[in-house]
Amino acid sequence: MQTLKGTKLAIFFGLFPALLIYLGIAIVPIGLSLYYSVMNWNGIGSMTFVGIDNYVQILSNSTFWLSVKNNVIIMVTGLIGQLPLGLLLAILLNRGLKGSGFFRTIGFMPVVISSVMVSLIWGMIYNTEYGMLNNLLGFIGLEGWQQNWLGDVKWSMLSISIAYIWQNCGLYMVIFLAALQNIPDEVNEAAELDGATGFKRTMRITIPMIRSTIMVCVVYSISNSFRVFDLIQILTGGGPAHQTEVMTIYMYNSAFMNMRYGYGSAVSILILLFSLVVITLINRLAGEKDA
Amino acid sequence: MGKTNKGKKAVLLGLVAMLVMVTAACGKDKAAEGNNNGGSESETITLNMMHPWTSPNVDNEVYKARIAEFEEQHPNIVIKQDGVPAAQYKTKLRTLAAANNLADINVVWPGADLDPLVAGDLLQPINDMMDNWASIMPESALAGFNVDGKQYAIPTKQSFVDIIYYNKEMFAQVGYDQFPDTYDKFIDAVKKLKEAGITPISLGNKEQWPLQSSYISIIGDRYTGSDFLPSVLEKQAKFTDPEFVKALSVIDDLTKLGAFNTDANNMDSVQGQDYFIQGKAAMHISSSTVDGRIRINNDEGDKFGIALFPSVEGGKGDPVKSAGVVQYGIAIKSGLDEKKQKAAEEFMKFFVNEDLYKELIRNGIVVPAKVDVPEDASKYLKEMLELTGNGTAPVFDSVVPTQVVDVLQNGLQALTVGRGTPEELAKEVQDAFDTMN
Repeated sequence: MQTLKGTKLAIFFGLFPALLIYLGIAIVPIGLSLYYSVMNWNGIGSMTFVGIDNYVQILSNSTFWLSVKNNVIIMVTGLIGQLPLGLLLAILLNRGLKGSGFFRTIGFMPVVISSVMVSLIWGMIYNTEYGMLNNLLGFIGLEGWQQNWLGDVKWSMLSISIAYIWQNCGLYMVIFLAALQNIPDEVNEAAELDGATGFKRTMRITIPMIRSTIMVCVVYSISNSFRVFDLIQILTGGGPAHQTEVMTIYMYNSAFMNMRYGYGSAVSILILLFSLVVITLINRLAGEKDA
Repeated sequence: MGKTNKGKKAVLLGLVAMLVMVTAACGKDKAAEGNNNGGSESETITLNMMHPWTSPNVDNEVYKARIAEFEEQHPNIVIKQDGVPAAQYKTKLRTLAAANNLADINVVWPGADLDPLVAGDLLQPINDMMDNWASIMPESALAGFNVDGKQYAIPTKQSFVDIIYYNKEMFAQVGYDQFPDTYDKFIDAVKKLKEAGITPISLGNKEQWPLQSSYISIIGDRYTGSDFLPSVLEKQAKFTDPEFVKALSVIDDLTKLGAFNTDANNMDSVQGQDYFIQGKAAMHISSSTVDGRIRINNDEGDKFGIALFPSVEGGKGDPVKSAGVVQYGIAIKSGLDEKKQKAAEEFMKFFVNEDLYKELIRNGIVVPAKVDVPEDASKYLKEMLELTGNGTAPVFDSVVPTQVVDVLQNGLQALTVGRGTPEELAKEVQDAFDTMN
C-alpha cells in the first residue's frame, strides 16, 4: 500500500509538467476560443455577447463553404496522393535498392525544409513569366500547355495540391519504411514459398501487415489537411478571389485582417469539429472492417 | 545494461544540445550589445520599434539611416527594430494591439486604421510635444492622427496612391504623344497597345490592395466626387449607387480588354513595378513613392512619364485631383515607464524633424510638412508636386473600415478572373458595411 501510494505520487509529479504544458497550450486556448466565439469583439475594445450569432453567420457565408470545399480537396489529395505515393516509395526502397539511403534522404528533404521555403520554391516553379514549369513546356514544344498555374481559377487548386503532395509524401514514406522493416523476414520467406511474389505479395501480405500504421497515417493525413495554412497563404494568399482559400486562411482573414476575433474564433471551433467528425468517421469505418 | 547506456547517452546529448543553445544565445546577445553601445557601462534604455520599412524603396533607406544616426548621438538609447514587410505590417500591428503588446514606438496609419488603437487606449497622446512641429506641420497633415482633440502621431510622408507611370516610347508607338486626357481615349490607347502586342498595364495584385487603393480610390472619385465616401459612412449614400458601380465596371472593362498582365494575381506590388521598369508593360499605377525606383534612381528614368487617371464622361469628380493620404505616423505606446517615455519622446523629436523631411525631399518623396523644396531637388519631384498639387481625393482604405475593404478587394480580384459582376460586387460591399455592428 505504502509503496503504491509513493508510486502514484511519483507518477503524478512525473506527469505534472507535461500536463501543465498541455493544459496551457491546448486545453486553455480551445476553451478561450470557445468563449470568444460567442462574442462580438474587434480584438481591442470591449466584447459583447452575441450567442450563436457568429456560427449562424459563418454557416450562411458562401466563402466559408468554398473554403470547406477546398479543405476537402486538400484532404482527398492527402489520402489518394500522399499516402499511396509514400507507400510505393517505401516499398521500392525496402526492396534493397542501391543507394536507398540517398533516395530516402532526398524523399524526406521536403518534410524538413520550412514550408515557407517550399511555398517559395513552388511559387517560382509555377510563375507564369519565368517559371520552370512553363519554360519546360515551352522547351519541349508544348507552348499550348503553358498556363497561369496559380492565377487561373481552373488550375490553382490543382497546382496547390501537387505542391502539397510533394511537401508531405516523404514523411509517410519514412513512416511506412519503418513499418515495412519491422515485418519479420520469415513472413516474407513463407509467402514466397507459397508462391506469393511481387504485386500479389504486396497486396496480400505486406499491406495487411502494416495496416495499423496505414491507419495512423490516414488519421494523421486528415488532421494535417485541416491544418494546412502556410503553403497556400504564401503561394496564393487564398486568391484569386477566395478560390484557393481553406478554412484556416478564412479564419486568419476574419480574425487578423478584418479584426473580427469572435467570428474568427468561431471558425476555429468549426475547424476542430470538422476534423473530429471526419476522423471519428474514418475510425468507425476502419473499426467495422476489423470486426 | 545496453538500454541504460542508451538512456544516459540521450540525456547527455540533450544536455550538450541545451548548452550549445544557451551559449549560442549568449554570444548573440553580447554581439548585439557590442554593436549598439560600444560596450559602455552606463545604463542603457532599449526601445522597441516596429516599422514596415523593408522593401527597396528610397524612403525606407532614409528612415533607417535616421534611426542609425539617433543611436549614434544617443549612446545610452538602443532602438531595437522589428521590420515587418508592408503587406503584413498592419496585420501584425493589429494582432499585437489585441494582445496589448505593442512595440514602444510604432508606425501607424491615420483614420480607420488608427481608430481602434485609440479606442483601446493603446497610444500615448503627444499634445504637450506639439510645439516641436508647430512651425512646419500644417493642420491638414495632422488631422488624420487627431482624435477628439488629442494628437497621437506625426506623419512622415505624404503618399499619392494613384500615379499612372507610363512608358512614353510605347505610347508614342501607338500614336499618343500625350497621356490620354479622357477615359475614352485611355481605352482607345489600351486597345491600340494591345494590338501592338504590348501589355497595357502591369499589375501586381497578389496582396490585393493595389486594385482597391491605387485604382478604386481615384476611379471612384472621378465618377462619384470626393463627398461620396464620407456620405456613405454617414449612410447618406450607398456603394450600390450607379456612379460607384460604374467605377467598379472600369476594372471589369479593363479585364475584358486584357489590359493587365496574365499573372496579375500572383505578382506582388514590387514585382509589378519591376515588370513595368523592365519595359514589359506600357503603364503601371501605384503610389508616388515608387517614383524613386521608376525614375529618380533609374538611368533610363526619362523614358517614363507620370499622369493622373483621366476624366470620365458625366463624372462628378474633379479630374485634376489625386488620391492622397498622410502615412507613417510615428506614435508612442501608452503606459511606458518614465525613463522609457522620455527616451521615446527624445527619439520622436529627433526622428521627425525638418532634417528628415528635407532628406526625404532630396530623395524625391513628397512630405506632408511645410519645408521649402530645395533648388537642387530632382526635376521628377517638382513634376510630381505639380501633378498632385491640385486637390486631394480620399484613399479608400484610409476612410472605409477594414472588413468592408476586404470584401471590395476580394471582389475586385474576382472581377479580374471573370467571376461576378460590378453590380453584385457593389451589393456585397454595401452588405458588408450594413452588417458591421
